[in-house]
Amino acid sequence: MRRKETVAMLLAGGQGSRLGVLTEKIAKPAVSFGGKYRMIDFSLSNCVNSGIDTVGVLIQYKPFILNKYLGTGSAWGLDEESGGVHILPPYATEKGGNWYQGTADAIYHNIDFIDGYDPEYVLILSGDHLYQMDYNLMLDYHKLMNAELTVAVKTVPMSEASRFGIMSTDEELRITRFTEKPKEPDSDLASMGIYIFTWKTLREALLRDHEQQDSEHDFGKNIIPTLLGQGRRLFAYVFNGYWKDVGTIPSYYATQMELLEENPAFRIFERRMRIFSNLNEHAPGYVGEGGSVKDSLCCNGCEVYGSVRHSVLSPGVYIGPNAVVEDSVLLPNSSVGEGAVVKRTILNEGAAIAALERVGSEDEICVVGTGSTMRVKE
Amino acid sequence: MMRTIGLVSTNYSVEGYEDLCQNRPVAAVPFGGRYRFMDFALSNLVNAGIRTVGVVTPYYYRSILDHMGAGKAWSLDKKSGGLFVLPGTIHGFRDENGRFLLNDLLRNRQYLERGEADYVLCTDCSFLYNADYRPLMERHEVSGADVTLLYKPLEAGEKHRGSYLRTDENGRVTAIGAGESGEKLFLNCLIINKSFLLRFLDNYRHMSHRDLVERLSAQLAEVDVRAVAFEGFVGYTDGIADYLAASRSLLRREVRQELFGGERQIYTRIHDEPPTAFSAAAVVKNSVISSGGHIGGCVEDSVLFRGVVIEEGAEVKNCILMEKTVIRSGAVLENVICDKQVSVSGGVVLRGTAEHPCLLRKEKVI
Repeated sequence: MRRKETVAMLLAGGQGSRLGVLTEKIAKPAVSFGGKYRMIDFSLSNCVNSGIDTVGVLIQYKPFILNKYLGTGSAWGLDEESGGVHILPPYATEKGGNWYQGTADAIYHNIDFIDGYDPEYVLILSGDHLYQMDYNLMLDYHKLMNAELTVAVKTVPMSEASRFGIMSTDEELRITRFTEKPKEPDSDLASMGIYIFTWKTLREALLRDHEQQDSEHDFGKNIIPTLLGQGRRLFAYVFNGYWKDVGTIPSYYATQMELLEENPAFRIFERRMRIFSNLNEHAPGYVGEGGSVKDSLCCNGCEVYGSVRHSVLSPGVYIGPNAVVEDSVLLPNSSVGEGAVVKRTILNEGAAIAALERVGSEDEICVVGTGSTMRVKE
Repeated sequence: MMRTIGLVSTNYSVEGYEDLCQNRPVAAVPFGGRYRFMDFALSNLVNAGIRTVGVVTPYYYRSILDHMGAGKAWSLDKKSGGLFVLPGTIHGFRDENGRFLLNDLLRNRQYLERGEADYVLCTDCSFLYNADYRPLMERHEVSGADVTLLYKPLEAGEKHRGSYLRTDENGRVTAIGAGESGEKLFLNCLIINKSFLLRFLDNYRHMSHRDLVERLSAQLAEVDVRAVAFEGFVGYTDGIADYLAASRSLLRREVRQELFGGERQIYTRIHDEPPTAFSAAAVVKNSVISSGGHIGGCVEDSVLFRGVVIEEGAEVKNCILMEKTVIRSGAVLENVICDKQVSVSGGVVLRGTAEHPCLLRKEKVI
């Protein structure tokens, strides 16, 4: 196998339990976002746009849609003869099998996979973050600083710092302290959960961590504090662009509403750092004689006979005659029947609102799945 | 089922297309917001389970190769079989009135000889339809005919450019290219026994400038030629007025459903465009809108391709706007076809008619 300088490992096994109905059937990285994308598109596209062509995708929770969606990786240009996308589920050995116990444990179990490419560096990513980033710049920085671990960080308001993993650094941006969700934060540099490790350092750390009975085998809780304690060279890399870890229904909803602004902060529609996706096989959309679409994003495969305002319409969405859709996010293949009224609602994939039904209210966000409905206060 | 390979002729004639075919063959003419004519031919073959397809290139084939690539979009990037580019032999003539030139087949004989196929399904790209070719293949095999042609039964009074067929009571074809009108319009699609085709090519080695169908029509007494009807929707595109009409037929739900909504998908090259953004001022009625656009003005009874920009205050009616057309605020367009990357300034008022649409050629700025 050809040697690779950098291998990316993409953590995509999480459930995202706080997204409720949306992750009933699929893992969080497979949740639809921004019309035609799924969350994993952003990290995968970043890899491609950064020239990283070898990506291990660690899966565990309800992986079917994710696996099908990833396919050979060709939708992202990742169908490489040497490298490409590798789906890495938990597996059995002669000693039995185990689920991935934590983020670090998931990488530990794939040491042989990484060794196969004999890389200099390993890039650890999450499959459910929304951002556009050139990992090459971070890698250059990692080399420049002669670092063993570089953690991408973002400045957050001090008032919110206690929600994040916070890095304290010296003037050189060398990390001096790392605290998960500190009660009294002494820095506003929050970890984005994006790490570049020198593989030799990470490999040793994973082997040691695996032997620790009391470890949760987690990067933030175990690996980073241990390396810090050993006096290793850990650096923070400050990222100034848009980045979001959408964890809850209100933030999932708000983030998509932001895409409808005139100049959205998350510039997913620019060609420069193009986001690729695997939802491209629909015919163009259609707006009917009595239909109206305003202040909205509309994908291919939509048929609109009713009136749509300030909403996101994913591929294959149907809006019946005289239906009204406002301030809503309609995921792929969902439908709104004739004369129905849908406001401040997220329709999950394939969900159908019957004719004349009324859904949604002013003070909460309604999430309608194929089987169940939930309401979330903002 | 016996094995069948496909052969797509990308058309020699560009008559009637004006500047739409200035730099591209008919097969590469954009259609329906994100497709090109050849997508229908390729997808129909692929949807019938055919995984070996040869494409005969026309006189100028840059846009064809650009569009097809390795055939991935049609699942034709295969280890065994897949997409074969068959260099056409016509150089310098683009108005040759043929469909399957014998010389093109002779010079690409290796494509036909290789492999173990029993039949060759040949089609050109001049009719737009989504057909299940399997009944044609089955009928051909059961009948034991040498050749079976696909035709569209026309309504009384309906007339389109092309060849009309006559058949006898047993379903044998008795005439091809009979007259200017008729009930059975040949769809330039046929299935032929490979061994018969190879023998036929040998016989015509010295008349290789002739067309396969034309030569068959001269030998209907000796050759067993049958015909099978295709009852579905057909888009006719004999020229730019027809092109406008065929495009506008996509505004009918049943046509969209038949072409794009069923089990058999029409595949095309993927562009990864983002969703189309509609602004608060957008007024869109009865229109097909593709991805990647920005719409702020009025759009009615039109087909918009990928990445089209309609500024607020612009009005577009009965138009076909191809990829990356920009219509500035204050412009008014009616019955206009804009080829790719046309830019129309504010204040421009341009009206054609349905019978005589205005055509703005690629990259034109007005």
